[in-house]
Amino acid sequence: MKRLAGWMLATPATLAIALLLVIPVAGTIGMTFGTPGQGDWGIVQPYADFFASNFRRRVLWRTFEVAGYVTVISLAAGLVTAYVVARCPAWTKSVLVVLAVFPLLTGVIVRSFAWLVLLGREGMVNQFLIWTGLIDGPLTMLYTPGAVIVAMVYIFVPLMVLVLVGVLENIPEDLLQASSSLGAGPVASFFQVTLPLAVPGLIVGAVLVFTASFTSYATPALLGGTRQMMMGTFLHQSAMVRFDWPGAAVVAAIMLAVILATVLVMTRLAKRLNPMAT
Amino acid sequence: MTLPLTIENITAHYGSTKVLEDLSLSLAEGELVSLLGASGCGKTTTLRLVAGFLQPTSGAIRLGSKDLTRLPAHQRDIGLVFQNYALFPHLTVRENVAFGLKQRKVASAERTKRADAMLDRVGLAHLADRLPAALSGGQKQRVALARALVIEPPLLMFDEPLSNLDAKLRVDMRVEIRQLQRANGTTALYVTHDQEEAFSISDRVAIMHQGRIMQLDTPETLYQRPANAFVANFVGFENIVPLSVTARNGAEVTARSDSGAELTLSQDQLGAIPDRFLLATRPDGLQVSTDPAAVGLPAELGLRTYLGRAYQYQAQAGGLSLVANGPLSQPLETGTAAKLVPNPEQCAILQPE
Repeated sequence: MKRLAGWMLATPATLAIALLLVIPVAGTIGMTFGTPGQGDWGIVQPYADFFASNFRRRVLWRTFEVAGYVTVISLAAGLVTAYVVARCPAWTKSVLVVLAVFPLLTGVIVRSFAWLVLLGREGMVNQFLIWTGLIDGPLTMLYTPGAVIVAMVYIFVPLMVLVLVGVLENIPEDLLQASSSLGAGPVASFFQVTLPLAVPGLIVGAVLVFTASFTSYATPALLGGTRQMMMGTFLHQSAMVRFDWPGAAVVAAIMLAVILATVLVMTRLAKRLNPMAT
Repeated sequence: MTLPLTIENITAHYGSTKVLEDLSLSLAEGELVSLLGASGCGKTTTLRLVAGFLQPTSGAIRLGSKDLTRLPAHQRDIGLVFQNYALFPHLTVRENVAFGLKQRKVASAERTKRADAMLDRVGLAHLADRLPAALSGGQKQRVALARALVIEPPLLMFDEPLSNLDAKLRVDMRVEIRQLQRANGTTALYVTHDQEEAFSISDRVAIMHQGRIMQLDTPETLYQRPANAFVANFVGFENIVPLSVTARNGAEVTARSDSGAELTLSQDQLGAIPDRFLLATRPDGLQVSTDPAAVGLPAELGLRTYLGRAYQYQAQAGGLSLVANGPLSQPLETGTAAKLVPNPEQCAILQPE
């Protein structure tokens, strides 16, 4: 009886997920398969076509590269920030966390636009550099992978800080006291106690930032342009500009596969490396 | 190696709250001194100051000739055993024990050798490769002890090390701690709220209250000759009777209570008796007697409880609520008039507040 009630309660949500998620995704993936017996690769011919194209391989690789840089830089910047924030007194800490999270309250597009203003030919960064005399003419910063990386780091660091502050706060104070009573200075304590205990949190943060930057669309669309296309912008172009729906479905399926693989591998790793679990 | 510890006129604040006031304490080489008191008495604060986790507002802390007062915690070279063990969860038992040696740049092979030897001493050699999560409370505390001892610190400190263990294990572990501390001859500061624990293993005990040391003495002296009403009460002198001397005859002193009852006490047994004083007794040291000739405090008996070796009575004597024991042979009813006779061997003379 209890079980039945449980199933019934779960039904609306299950139906919603089935209708709105499972069926469309299955449809999209279904669209990516070719006709059996046609071409060298049979039903996976569309995937073979994707990987046969130099241009598309470069888009995929660039996406990996950008997402990788963004993840690594966000991890480093987020860890340092979170370490400082987590060691502040309670009141200062809440103020700093609110400040760190503040940018999350504006949309991704607005925040990407800000970088458009900063990095353009007549933008503030170029004007400043010319004023200081470091350069003679404006640098091309927009529509480069660098611009996309800088903007994405700016967008995702708050997320990372939020995750890592939580993790660092959970490291018991007396472990750090034990470490210093045994002769470990602040640096040694950080690398031998804090960092190993923060690994699961670092992995969670890395997965969040990597998947979000791998699939991002707005930032590369605004700051990467059409020459520095990433998977997100390429997907949009395939579907909405070229109306190549099967091609777009293949892009979507590859993105999905990359993200699933990342999440699976990383959560496994996090579990293995979690010192708190037995 | 072992060094004496000197704490000189330490005052400490948490924010604007004063938690320690002008506290001084010296530990001789190899001595084990306990700080004993209820929570909030300043005992843990004192330990944290010596460890370097807190800074005193004024005063000095010295270990041997080294001034620790402004030295960062990691340079103080003190072995610390925590209440919650504070073992590193990501390191094996062996790595935990070797942690301090690693910070001292001891070579890897030597580290393992010394860590294993120390684990052997605490009887955990077979668990060296486990993670702390796989250990019982008693085992964790042994690892914590081994980790603190292996660096051969000149001073060991214990912060309520046994309070998370069950009663039987507590008794075993405190004996073990004392044996290891004796064998190494290390000076030790031991913080606890458990009187039996403090008295059983300490050379001297400091009873603390509201940021001050009320009395620092051997357990025997504290137990038999408390210096003031607070300590007397703390060690079980439940009855405190104010008295005034009315006559002196050599060592014999006659004293009168506020309600007019007269007692005769011997300075040979109790030490010097001032003109006004407090007589402190444990329930055991105040015997109920119905003999009309007995010399004692007249009282009306209240509730009787059975202790196994005696009956205990709540008694009213001239406006004082006292607790006294009576013989098993003669259970007395509520309302009985009796005398409460102090046994000089179980009394203490205190200065009035």
